[in-house]
This record gives sequence, C-alpha cells and structure tokens, in this order.
Amino acid sequence: MTTRPAPRRFATIAAAVVGIVLLGAAPGVLSPFMVQFVINLFMLAILAESWNIIGGFTGYASFGNVAFFGIGAYTTGVLMTKVGWPLAAALAAAGVVPMLFAALVGLPILRLKGHYFAIATLGVAETMREVVYNLEITGAGTGLVMPIARTPALFFYLMLGILIAVTLVNVWLAHSRFGYGLVAIREDEDAAAAMGIDTARYKTIAFALSGAFAGLTGGVFAYWITFIDPDAVFRVIVTIQMIIMAVFGGAGTVVGPLLGALVLASVSEILSTHLVALAELFNGVIVILVVLFMPKGLLEVVRAGRSSLRVMARNLREYRV
Amino acid sequence: MSVAILSARGVTKKFGGLAAVADVTFDLHEGEILGLIGPNGSGKTTLVNVVTGALPATGGEVRFADRPLTGLPWHEVGRLGVSRTFQVVKPFRNLSVVENVMVGALFGARGGARDLRTARRQAEEVLAFVALDHRADAPAEGLNVPERKRMELARALAMRPRVLMLDEVMAGLNPAEIDAAVELIKRIRDRGITLLVIEHVMKAIRNLSDRILVLFHGQTLTEGAPGDVLNDERVVAAYLGRRYAEAARA
Repeated sequence: MTTRPAPRRFATIAAAVVGIVLLGAAPGVLSPFMVQFVINLFMLAILAESWNIIGGFTGYASFGNVAFFGIGAYTTGVLMTKVGWPLAAALAAAGVVPMLFAALVGLPILRLKGHYFAIATLGVAETMREVVYNLEITGAGTGLVMPIARTPALFFYLMLGILIAVTLVNVWLAHSRFGYGLVAIREDEDAAAAMGIDTARYKTIAFALSGAFAGLTGGVFAYWITFIDPDAVFRVIVTIQMIIMAVFGGAGTVVGPLLGALVLASVSEILSTHLVALAELFNGVIVILVVLFMPKGLLEVVRAGRSSLRVMARNLREYRV
Repeated sequence: MSVAILSARGVTKKFGGLAAVADVTFDLHEGEILGLIGPNGSGKTTLVNVVTGALPATGGEVRFADRPLTGLPWHEVGRLGVSRTFQVVKPFRNLSVVENVMVGALFGARGGARDLRTARRQAEEVLAFVALDHRADAPAEGLNVPERKRMELARALAMRPRVLMLDEVMAGLNPAEIDAAVELIKRIRDRGITLLVIEHVMKAIRNLSDRILVLFHGQTLTEGAPGDVLNDERVVAAYLGRRYAEAARA
C-alpha cells in the first residue's frame, strides 16, 4: 500500500506494456495446445484477482465465488441459445447479472464474519447449482450446448482483456481511498467504522466488483468450452482454486494472485501430464506448505530476495504450527 | 461556560434486562475537558459507544452542534466530527503507522483529505504532533503499548474532530508516560478540540478536567469541579466501598 518512487513506477508500467504486447502476439506463435493452456491460465488468474478484491483486500474469505462464475456462464448461455443475443451483449450481461446478484446476497451475508461468512457463501453457491439444476430455461441437468466458435484467438484476447481490467482494478485498490477503506475493514472493522468508513457500502461494492469479473469470465468460459452443465460451472473446487492461487501468491497484493495462478497452473499442468498420481495431491500439499512457510504468500518470500530462506524460517517460528 | 457542543438527554442503554446506562444527561461545552470516571462496569465505555453510534440507544437523545446524533450510523457520527479511541486499541496491524493515520485523514470529518498524497501529508503532521513521527514507517504490529496508544490518538486526531472521546488512553502507561499524555491532551484542547476523557488515573483526571462526571451502576452519581467531585463522599464510597468512606471521615 505504499506510494512508490517515480522511476520504479515507470519501470513497472513499461514492463507491463511490453508484457501485454508480447502476449498480444502470442496466439499467432504458440502451438494450439499452448494457446488453450494460456487461455485457461488467464481464466484462473482473473478468478484469483477477482477473489482478491473481496477476500484479499477486504478480508472476507468468500467460499462461494464460483456462484458468480456459474451465473455468468449461464447468463451468456441462456441469452445466446434461448434468446438469440449476440456474444457482445450476452457477455455484458454476464458481468452485470452476477454483479447485481452479489450486491443483493451481499447485503445480508456481508453482515456475517469469519467462518460464518465462509459457510454462507458456500451455501449460496451450492444453492445456485441446485436452482440451475431445476430450471427449465437453463436446460436443467442436461445443460446447454453453445454455438461452436473455432477461433481460439478470440477467447485468448477476451480473457486477456478481462485479466488486464481486473488487474487494473486491483492496482486502483492498492493506491486509492476506496482501497484503503477496504483494507481498514479487513484489519479491524469496528475501528474502520469509527473512523468514518461506510463499511456496509464498501463491502457490498467490493463483493459486487468481485462478482462482476468472476461472472464475465464465466460468460467467456461458457462460449469457449461450448457446453455447460451445473456441475461444470458451480464446482466448489473452482472457488478453492481461486483462494489457493490468491493466498499462495499473496492475498491483498496486486501481483500475488497473478503469480499464484501462473505458478500453480503451470505446475499442475506439468504434473497432470507426467505424474498424474501426484497431481491429485498437489493442492493439498500447497496448502500445507503455504500455511507453514509463507502465510503472507509467495510474493513476500520472492521480495525478500536473498534472505528468502530467513523469511520462511521466521514465518515457521512466528506462526508456531 | 460557553454553549454545549454536544448534549445527551436521558441516554439509556439496556442489554436484556440490565441497564448498563440509565437515564444519563450531560452537556459537553465547547473547548472544555470533561472527565468521565466511575468504577469498573459503571457504564463509561457503553456511554461513549451509544453517543458515538457504535451501539444503538435504548432511549434518550444525543445532539451534536444542534443536529441529532441518535440513530445515525456509526461512520456518520465520525464524519460529522465526533471521534473516539478504543479502550482496547484497535490498530490496523498489517499497515504501517502512517498508513493507519492516513485512514483517519481520508475518511474523517468532511473537508479532510480525499487523495492519498494529501492524506499522507496530514498524517505525518499529526504523527509529529503526537511525537510518533520517528515510527511513521514501522509496521503497526511492532509498536509497544505507549506507542500504540499514541497511534490510536493520532488516528482519531487525523479525522479532524470537533469532539474527541478518549477511552482510557493512559491505562498501562508508567508515571512519566502519563505526564507526557496529560501534556499532549492539554495541547489537543489548545487546538480547539473539545474532549471527553475516561480515565482511572486520578492524578491525571484531576489535573486535566474542567469538570468531572461520575457514573455508578449506569447512573450519574454526581457532576462538578474536580476538587469537589473527587472529595465527594459518595464518589469515594463508590470507588472504595462505604466502610472506607466512613473510616476516612472519622
């Protein structure tokens, strides 16, 4: 949350621009397999960054963000296949509908804290899955088949665009009054309220922003994967992945969730092609390692540079697990 | 004495059947320091919680600068210009000291900072005022007790309050630190801020207060000048027991 000196800020921006330009050229250069992998990587990174808004900055560990992803996917699915909306309009709706939904369920459940909030969000996601299972318009248990688009580059650029947008929102949070308000709520909600922060409004906006980006991604995902059913887009494991990636990289930071998504998606891809048995264990092992050695995330350890081992040893001592 | 900047009329707070604060009426005059004392559990913190909107009142009315405070959400009270510190300090642990204070500057009374640069400048000024500027970039969780109390005070001051309520800012301080805190509170008053000070350190409260209000079992026991109130037999009895008071008189 610190204001950086100008040269470092310039270097960061320059690196980001170069990175984006290189990424923009990627679909023409990479193998089809790699393009699919990168699209999936972008999606995971968006989900981690969007979870970071409510879970990392605001400190409300949502275990139900997959609900927004699922609602976004079904909004796109239903609007394109049953109503005949064009992709652009359907995607816009995939952002707006989950955003409104998040604001609406947020009003009551954001009054809960800690474990109670986590359980309530988990309940919301599971409820949404059941609702979609039982609705005619969503194709109930059989799901929806989307029109097939054979243009991987389209999905690549859509996901990249959303990723840039959600990252910019995170950058804004790290350097704005609104972001300070969210962090204050995370650190001590009573003190935040006493200091003049409209906590209910701030939390609701954070939850809605988080929901909008998860939903938008869900919309692109539906069209990319061409077939959605309730079990595919309301899976609890998707929320767990968002949390693990964000926390592994460094929750409440801009770069942390990106780093987490990159490392975990890559390792998990390599394991699932070469060491299938280990891939299953991977997430569990990561959770244990993070809790023991870097509860503030990989970013803290990376930033420590040469003294990273010392930071890990200190964490182990301090948290005395 | 001048006009009342904040007035409470018949303020009552019940938890179930228990009246933690019962029908308390008092005025806070512009520019004064009002001491609020009473034995543990007499309702001092609850009174501050109700006045600042942290807890809804069961009955009574609070007005600040001729506007009703009763029923306003907590954050609105802070923005109107009534700040408080917490008896058990509530630092934003993972932020630096200056960032803690910046939150006060960003969200306090209207007319405060709305951008980070201004907020940081204001926060640094306040930190210098409470003599904590040398710790500005330290993480808040690394502060010792007196430093934490000062940061709590700095955060409240950064909100640019007109009324500041201090809930036992001297608890846990040694005599030298208490003297420094007394001086600091006097300097806050000299800045034109009206203060309500909850304190158990009698020497400090006698030294600081223009008037003292005594609570006992949630009710006003007495109110008046420090010399009169602290020698009042009922006050001595409330603190030390009736038998001690009788022995002292004999």
